[in-house]
Amino acid sequence: MTQINLSELSELQAINKKLVSGYHISEQDTTLWQQLDQHIEAYQALFNALGHDLQHDARGFYYLASDESTPNMGKISRAIALTVFILIEHYANQGKDPLKALFDEIADLELMQTLVQLNKHLFDQLEIFSGSDLRKDVYLRMVRLGLAKEVEQGFMHLAPIYRYIDALMEVNEDSFDELEEEV
Amino acid sequence: MIPAKKVLNTLNEHWGVLELLFKRFKMTDFSLKDVQNVIKHKNPQWTSERIFKETNRLLNQEIIIPLAKSSQLEINRAIADFASFLLQEEDLGLAEEITVLVKDLERLGTRLQQAGDEGDFSELRRFSRIMDERVRKIVKLFQHNESAIFNLVEQAKSDSSNLSLQKRYKAVIEAFDEYIEPMLEMVDIRGDFHACFAVIEQQISNQIESIELFGRGANDKRMLEQLRTRILDMHLIGRESLRKSADMLMPLREELRRNTLITRQAAKVLGLIRKRGVDRMLTPVQPDFVSDIQRFSLGQQRHMVAYMASLAQFEHEDYQLPDHTDVPAYQSPNIPDYNDVRTSFTKQFTGKGNQRHALLGFLSEHYPSLDADEMLFLYQKLISDGHFELQQDTQRSKVTICDHTFALYPFNASKVQETPNDTN
Repeated sequence: MTQINLSELSELQAINKKLVSGYHISEQDTTLWQQLDQHIEAYQALFNALGHDLQHDARGFYYLASDESTPNMGKISRAIALTVFILIEHYANQGKDPLKALFDEIADLELMQTLVQLNKHLFDQLEIFSGSDLRKDVYLRMVRLGLAKEVEQGFMHLAPIYRYIDALMEVNEDSFDELEEEV
Repeated sequence: MIPAKKVLNTLNEHWGVLELLFKRFKMTDFSLKDVQNVIKHKNPQWTSERIFKETNRLLNQEIIIPLAKSSQLEINRAIADFASFLLQEEDLGLAEEITVLVKDLERLGTRLQQAGDEGDFSELRRFSRIMDERVRKIVKLFQHNESAIFNLVEQAKSDSSNLSLQKRYKAVIEAFDEYIEPMLEMVDIRGDFHACFAVIEQQISNQIESIELFGRGANDKRMLEQLRTRILDMHLIGRESLRKSADMLMPLREELRRNTLITRQAAKVLGLIRKRGVDRMLTPVQPDFVSDIQRFSLGQQRHMVAYMASLAQFEHEDYQLPDHTDVPAYQSPNIPDYNDVRTSFTKQFTGKGNQRHALLGFLSEHYPSLDADEMLFLYQKLISDGHFELQQDTQRSKVTICDHTFALYPFNASKVQETPNDTN
């Protein structure tokens, strides 16, 4: 049985508030991240007892895992997934190292406009019609979820984006076939 | 013959120029004008006459030599090798190069054995010397290739974003396919390389043994021992160098592989999304978030504590059992048992007909020590007891109990029924 000493978990309230709203705590949230880093076992036991699944990803972030989304959250997540996948393709088309570009380059409004223009019929399905829609509907939400941070000229992607890259890699031939059968 | 010292002096003086020429033109040719420009660039205050003189000096000392049947120039190969050694600007050699040398070593080993068997000591010495040279050359090649790979990795890592991914990693992949892999195969414990060395080592050991046995050529023994050590050392150096090179290249190769994988996967998935629609394709794979803040929010610490209380072995930090001395002594209320009161009341009033008796009067008579609230409690109890027949006064009267004054329509014990008035 893990010892949970509440007085040591000084950031519990802040951490709880962030995590339950779907936020990913990554290294940029220094205080919270350090707290979690130091007392991860206690936090994990505590959140576990409360019916959550606190996950620590070795690539530097913490989040509450969930196996279902509310319809609204599901839509947001799909929009983020599409944006990330399209970004990877976009960077690769430009001959860049897609992963490196994803984390090093700033996504500005111009890039967003280009993305939406090039993939109009995909974004249309998610009711995103312009670069500013993309900014408002996807990037600001990514900031709220801790997937990106706002900087002067645009947005920087943060480590939790790896969840989407994992999801991308999960789509394999088998699941293609299953989908095929469904059709 | 040009005196070496003179050449060295010139090299020293013009090192900057040579370095620039070497780096800019690598191994290709350049014109006289290029040389003059470089000298001018390095020494901007020099007159054109001086520059012309210095260029001629480089040419005369054969540091720069003209290409055959051409006005173009090139750096003397010996000087270029020297410069590449100094600058560590080495190009990756081929695995084949080393293989050939090792094969040659094997051949020489056989010859050495032969010479030893025939007792031809001058031949033995000669082959031993040649083998020694070969071994040195192989070690040099290993080191050379290692630093070449280091340069290559540095180049691939340096962020030149205008370079495409393919181009950046091409050299890395080539290095891997053309050098590391064949070499690793060769150095493998069951590979040719290893077997060849075992044979050579055996041959040399035999020779040393026979020298010891016959006591001839004691000087040669030492030479052979050195050779044997050098060969073993070479083997070790080769393995080390290859391991280091592979370690340097491996992460880049992995990175490239991963990137290609991700890119390909992204293209594939996006293709499917285009065909099937965003929602259908992404719903099963998208990451889920905990979202319903209302449902999960705990808010305050007391909520937390309440949750915690239900967890096994939870102990609130502040919780302490009260001490005996902390608690004020318990004072039981003075009220006598109601049943006793009831009995004494019944005794006094039953069978006394219509006579009216003030209830409160009775109480204060019997229990003078009671407080006002306790008295009223008993009064209230008696009134609501259905066993007695009580009636209420029509007039309001004031009663004083223990320094408290009450105005009320008092109840009296009586059998006569009266219409009850409002009670206050």
